[in-house]
Amino acid sequence: MKDLVLSLIAEGGALAGVPFSLAAPLVMVAFGALVVFGFVLPIAGITSWLERRVWARIQSRIGPNRVGPQGFLQWLADGLKNLLKEDIIPSAADKWLFSLAPYLVVVGFIATFAAVPFTSSLIIADLNIGILYITAVTGIVVVGVLMAGWSSNNKWSLLGGIRSAAQIVSYEIPAGLSVFPIVLLTGTLSMQGIIRAQGWAPWDWFFFYNPFTFAAFFVFFVAALAEGNRTPFDIPEAESELVAGFCTEYSGMRYLLFFLEEWGNLYVIGAIVTTLFLGGWQVPAFTDNPMLLAVAQFGTFFLKAYFFVFVAMWVRATLPRVRVDQLMTVCWKYMVPIAIVNMLGTAAWMLFVPETLGRLVQFGMTGLGAVVVVVFFRRVRFHLRRANLKPSDYYYSPII
Amino acid sequence: MPGRVVTVERRPRPRAMDSLGALAILRGLAVTSRHFFRNLWGFLRGRPTIFTINYPEEAQQFAPAFRGMPVLVEMPDGKERCVACGLCEWACPVDCITIYPAETHDEVERYPRVFDIDMSRCMFCGLCEESCPEEAIVMSDRVAIASTHWRGNVWHKQDLLVPVGDLEKRLGSIRRGYDTRASEPAVERESA
Repeated sequence: MKDLVLSLIAEGGALAGVPFSLAAPLVMVAFGALVVFGFVLPIAGITSWLERRVWARIQSRIGPNRVGPQGFLQWLADGLKNLLKEDIIPSAADKWLFSLAPYLVVVGFIATFAAVPFTSSLIIADLNIGILYITAVTGIVVVGVLMAGWSSNNKWSLLGGIRSAAQIVSYEIPAGLSVFPIVLLTGTLSMQGIIRAQGWAPWDWFFFYNPFTFAAFFVFFVAALAEGNRTPFDIPEAESELVAGFCTEYSGMRYLLFFLEEWGNLYVIGAIVTTLFLGGWQVPAFTDNPMLLAVAQFGTFFLKAYFFVFVAMWVRATLPRVRVDQLMTVCWKYMVPIAIVNMLGTAAWMLFVPETLGRLVQFGMTGLGAVVVVVFFRRVRFHLRRANLKPSDYYYSPII
Repeated sequence: MPGRVVTVERRPRPRAMDSLGALAILRGLAVTSRHFFRNLWGFLRGRPTIFTINYPEEAQQFAPAFRGMPVLVEMPDGKERCVACGLCEWACPVDCITIYPAETHDEVERYPRVFDIDMSRCMFCGLCEESCPEEAIVMSDRVAIASTHWRGNVWHKQDLLVPVGDLEKRLGSIRRGYDTRASEPAVERESA
């Protein structure tokens, strides 16, 4: 970011002659606004559309297909509809807390983007405590959710808020412990520093570094899903039990803000996972053109992060919701011990495993991963073949 | 003993995949991904594997035996085939048909000056079609009978007339089903 600002001042134009101490915040605010309105909000909206389409494919339905080509503009229509709707505040609710809660939730989610990298030079603020910062501001979301649950003055909302608080506080621990192995390996908390410690090739990713980081990836991803209130951990808003949990009393745009957080948070989860375990924006240095390289880096990072958004949709369409006691069991009896073992194991690995053996393990695990991917796509092809798509098998043809 | 005895082979105990939670999750993911890729592949190839019919753009193809809205057969000369005999009016269990006959100088001597069907009373039993000696009223495959017009659901003769060409399938089905005039095609009878 600093280099970008300095080059902007040197090149002249609007920022020519502006002192660095003034130009840096200006550029930062401008870039932050650009990221929020040009990237975060559209990505949250488009994710909502894509999620509905992906579920529809999985469940053999069609999904939203009316607004725009293949229903692509559905998210705009939904947003517009909710903006125009009446914003009802129940008379029994605590008015101020009730109005404030959705904004806290959205602030907690949008603030994470301050430390989410896009390319090697594009990041709003490359904090030296980046991953810690993200874990911390995500905690604001639980305050908003609990506030929404309490101020609604409604038993379902309160139960939802309490469940959410218990869930997010519990799952912060395995998520935080799963970050430690990576921090041990890199010696930095900065997002860009963690990415720079990895390479573009899969065997240089921390995902395949050793069995402990491999396990830490899964622990982190599951914990992140739980923190984001995603199915199978969506007990705070469990429709069948709690009406809509903490957002039962909300309407209009305030209601939508909770879902903006939920869908946007998916991308944040994907971005963090990509940064920590999957080599971030690392691409092979195929060209000297910095612009081209930046585009390739952005594309790589975005695709990796969005793959995990897709996995979250896939998981949501597959698994039923877990019970509260199961949720706590999974967290405290399984994920926390596994996360601690991962941390200690990585520390021991760094001390005792010679480098050559480490390299061999990396290549071996990458090979195994490649085998799993190949097997997966062979299974997909097998089933596509077996399905033998004859129209007469699938179209509804009534007996004459 | 009625029926057929089928011995179902059951596994003696659940496989490891079923009893271990994590592997069961993978299995579930495999099932959903199978559906996803099959439906996506079908969608990309333009051969949808999803049964949904996008109603206003696509219409369901009904079988010829389907009894939809009763309509009047319109001959190629633009006149109705109906001779206003009143049999359908008499046969109708819910009295939804109203006919006022009138005279013509044609070979067909009578025609319905008014032929109204109250679609809100019609129960699609098909007795009018069955009673008609002229194959003049048939149950078509039309189902869009809701109306925003002020006349409500009473359909007049001009609304009910459907060219005979559009009704060939249903007319053939009637002939097969009731075995009437099987050797005598409709157009020939009219020109004779």
